[in-house]
Amino acid sequence: MTERTGPEPGASSPTAIAAGTRPVFLPSEVDPTVFDEAFLRQLERLLLLMRSPVRGGLKGGRRSVKRGQSVEFADYRDYTPGDDLRQLDWNVYARLEKLFVKLFVEEEDITVTLLLDASASMATGHPDKLTFAKRAAAALGYIGLASEDRVAVSALSGRVARRRAALRGSGRVFRLLADLSSIQPAEGPTDLVAAARHAAAQLHGRGAVVLLSDLLDPGADRVIRELAATGSELIVLHVLSPDELDPALEGDLRLVDTETGERVEITADLATIDAYKARLAGWKEGFADVAAKRRASYVDLASDVNLAELMFAELRRRRVLG
Amino acid sequence: MPFTTPLALLGLLFIPAVIAMYLLKLRRDEAVVPSTLLWTRLVADVEANAPWQKLKRSLLLLLQLLLVVILALLAARPFVERPAGLARDIVLVLDTSASMAATDVVPDRLTAAKVAATEALKDLPTGGKVSVIAAGRSARIVVNESTDLSRVRQAIDDVAVSQGSGDLGDALELASKLAARSGDAQVLVATDAALATDPTGRVAARVKVLPVGRDRKNQAIVALAVKTSPSAVSRSVFVSVANVDLERTTRRLELWGDGSLLEVRDVPLEAQARANVIVDDIDRNVRTLEVRLVGSDPAVVTAPDQLAVDDRAWAVIPPDRTRLILVVGEGDPYLETALSYLPNVELFGVAPNEYGPKTQRQDGRPWDLVIFEGFLPATLPRSPILAIAPPRTSDLGQVAGRLTNPGIGSLDPDEPVLRFVDLSTTHIAEASRLTTPDWARTIIPGPRGAPLLYAGTRDGLPSAVLAFEPRRSDLPLQVAFPILLANLTGELLGSTTAPSEAVEPGTPVELAIPTGAIGVTVTGPDGSITELVPGTSGGSAVSFAATDLIGVYTVTPLVDPDASPAPSASAGTGSSPSPRANPSAAGSPGASAGAGASPPPEDPLAPVQFAVDLFDVDESTIAPGSAAAIEALGVTAAASPDPGTGAATTERPTTRDELWVPIVLLVLTFLCVEWALYHRDGLTRLKRSLTTRLRRDAGGAA
Repeated sequence: MTERTGPEPGASSPTAIAAGTRPVFLPSEVDPTVFDEAFLRQLERLLLLMRSPVRGGLKGGRRSVKRGQSVEFADYRDYTPGDDLRQLDWNVYARLEKLFVKLFVEEEDITVTLLLDASASMATGHPDKLTFAKRAAAALGYIGLASEDRVAVSALSGRVARRRAALRGSGRVFRLLADLSSIQPAEGPTDLVAAARHAAAQLHGRGAVVLLSDLLDPGADRVIRELAATGSELIVLHVLSPDELDPALEGDLRLVDTETGERVEITADLATIDAYKARLAGWKEGFADVAAKRRASYVDLASDVNLAELMFAELRRRRVLG
Repeated sequence: MPFTTPLALLGLLFIPAVIAMYLLKLRRDEAVVPSTLLWTRLVADVEANAPWQKLKRSLLLLLQLLLVVILALLAARPFVERPAGLARDIVLVLDTSASMAATDVVPDRLTAAKVAATEALKDLPTGGKVSVIAAGRSARIVVNESTDLSRVRQAIDDVAVSQGSGDLGDALELASKLAARSGDAQVLVATDAALATDPTGRVAARVKVLPVGRDRKNQAIVALAVKTSPSAVSRSVFVSVANVDLERTTRRLELWGDGSLLEVRDVPLEAQARANVIVDDIDRNVRTLEVRLVGSDPAVVTAPDQLAVDDRAWAVIPPDRTRLILVVGEGDPYLETALSYLPNVELFGVAPNEYGPKTQRQDGRPWDLVIFEGFLPATLPRSPILAIAPPRTSDLGQVAGRLTNPGIGSLDPDEPVLRFVDLSTTHIAEASRLTTPDWARTIIPGPRGAPLLYAGTRDGLPSAVLAFEPRRSDLPLQVAFPILLANLTGELLGSTTAPSEAVEPGTPVELAIPTGAIGVTVTGPDGSITELVPGTSGGSAVSFAATDLIGVYTVTPLVDPDASPAPSASAGTGSSPSPRANPSAAGSPGASAGAGASPPPEDPLAPVQFAVDLFDVDESTIAPGSAAAIEALGVTAAASPDPGTGAATTERPTTRDELWVPIVLLVLTFLCVEWALYHRDGLTRLKRSLTTRLRRDAGGAA
């Protein structure tokens, strides 16, 4: 495994792209608000951490349950005729006069699946949660590509998951960005559980699944449980806008659900807002508990968090990136 | 609890309206949110779509209901009754004399008196009547038997202090007459009781004094006169300053002439004493003099005493003019030579047999002095007269024979006519034997009480009688003769050393309308202009009464644009007499033009001025007097029913105290609580943001 060291938390963040200007290296189908080149270079130094060795397909940069040709020693076993003589440990033979074959850790690639909640609620907030999620997904995807992992993007919308073809190699980053740019918010209600279930069915083998969602669904905890049950490493990035974390509502209001059109009448006084915040905190704690029980990582985020700070500080602190 | 307007309690009908507001469902604004997932369980007031909702317990509702109740109570004007401390009919006398402007109580005595009077009227029985009298120079009824207390308070507020003397006795007499109309009356007198003499007379009601004032620190200008020397050559100013305080002090006297500072003197003043200041050699061109009494230390900005109105005085100096002297006699060269040396004198002569109506001046201007030399007409002219050796008894005095070689008696060294006159070597060959009349004073006494010269004011006209012809003595050969003649004619022509008569504040002034004018305009010291036109066509005088302010008033004739130009003073024979604007204090006919008022100018249409000064040491004595002396004028309590004790009444009058003040305070308190409740979220947010900011700042500082 190759350890990469990124900048320390608090290091200078990459320069943001000015609105309305398009970097010259970006293809036309890529949303120009995603990254600049310097940020991509910094992302190359990060690695998506896996809690356990995985079984992959092609050779890659990650520890595999298989023994193979990497430089990292794993164990010895008795020589069996037919074994590669280059793997014999001649030093042991000289000392013990027995033939042992050295076993090395096999390094294989994994598939990093980026599940992006494209429900209508994700298109709300200032800044809107979907754009933030796209940028975070792009950053994580690029890290995966740079780590010689396969990266697949899947958009959860309506009751289905629209999975794009898996990409491999850092040279496919623009394709990844184009895939993310093409994701648009759903116009109707989204059944997050059904869509996640659909996405789970599309997974091949164990890998890493990154769910970027606001989890504003009554069955959101089931989504976490079912995705964790696929055997993949599940990372839940729970994205909420500042308006949802601290609503600036006041007075007698009729709240309209942006997805379902459901109406709720409230008197938004301070007590109501405080009760909402308490309920929000409990709601997020519930997700964290579910994730912890399923050995999944749960990271709650605000959509106004600086992306560099998220990548180089927050996710490293949460042991999601290394 | 009784109410003044119980119908206002109908305002309680608003209570159901307030409750209905809370029963009606709110009209809510819509807000789009990403999801209502987290809000659904928080909502407690979501009800069905019915227009009414269940009434919930609400502190705001409770407060608003209480507010409606309190406002209805306030509109109903609840009151409590208590025994009245005053009679049903009150006559309030407000002293507005100049001493009430004293500032020993803040801001001044009159304001304190108004406050005291307003407070006292709170004890007025319900339905009681109030009359208000302003006691200035004359009593003036401000409010007559009004039951409207707000109108009475307004009238009391409108009363202003005068700058003149007050007559509290006159006001009490009027109050007594007003009180006599009612069976249950009481006189309230708000005064400092700073009276020279206690008022006399009886008041037909109980008198209660509301005393104001506590100090007596005051110095005042009590006299100002411009003296022209008997020879009419020079002028001097005489100022008398009185210290009515009990402590000695020093004040600075400033003399201003036509707006320019002429002289400054520091005047030490003993307690309860006067100091006189004489400033000589005043420029002859100065027309208006002002005297200011200021503090001895210019660096001190506080008022040097407690009454400012008597710290200034003005005098208008009469302009020099040619005096017309007619000598009726055979002709005495000594006399005529001496008279011809007098300044500003035009001398005329006529033989006794030619004296008569024909000797009246055709321009209407009277002779300033007529000298009869050894002759007296049957009818004495209305002019100042000097009679020399009168041949017979007349209004000027009794002639009882002749004196031969009369000796000169002992002379008064203070006699102004004899100033610089030395008669020690004078011999008189023959003189008339005279008797000094009542109106005259002896100037040169003769043998056995027979005066050789006496002078005085007869019927308002200066007159003098010399018992001998100058040529029958050696007096014309001596230096004393022209000096004596100058002094004597100076007194007769009006240039006396007597203090000038200033117009008192509030005194009506008679203003003559000059020929060619249709009226006059009077410009007061404050710049106010009053136009006066005679009531009848062709009237020759108008009366001006608005002399309440001290200072200099200017009288300007209003020229009739259609009239022909007025004849000048030097008009020829045949011209009709022209009356002049001649301000003089009413009631003192014939008062000569002194420092207080300028005499007729040469041009009859030229403006004239007169000064109004306080000059009243009694009014300047601001020491509060005895209230008991004033209260003693009224009916005693034993003789009159006392509404406070009810000893002689079967039905005690009561007064109402309305409770609006505590109710208004209650309303304000409720409004504040309601406001705080309504905005409690905002206040809590503000508190939180401040706390967060403070913590952040503290963290940053650490």
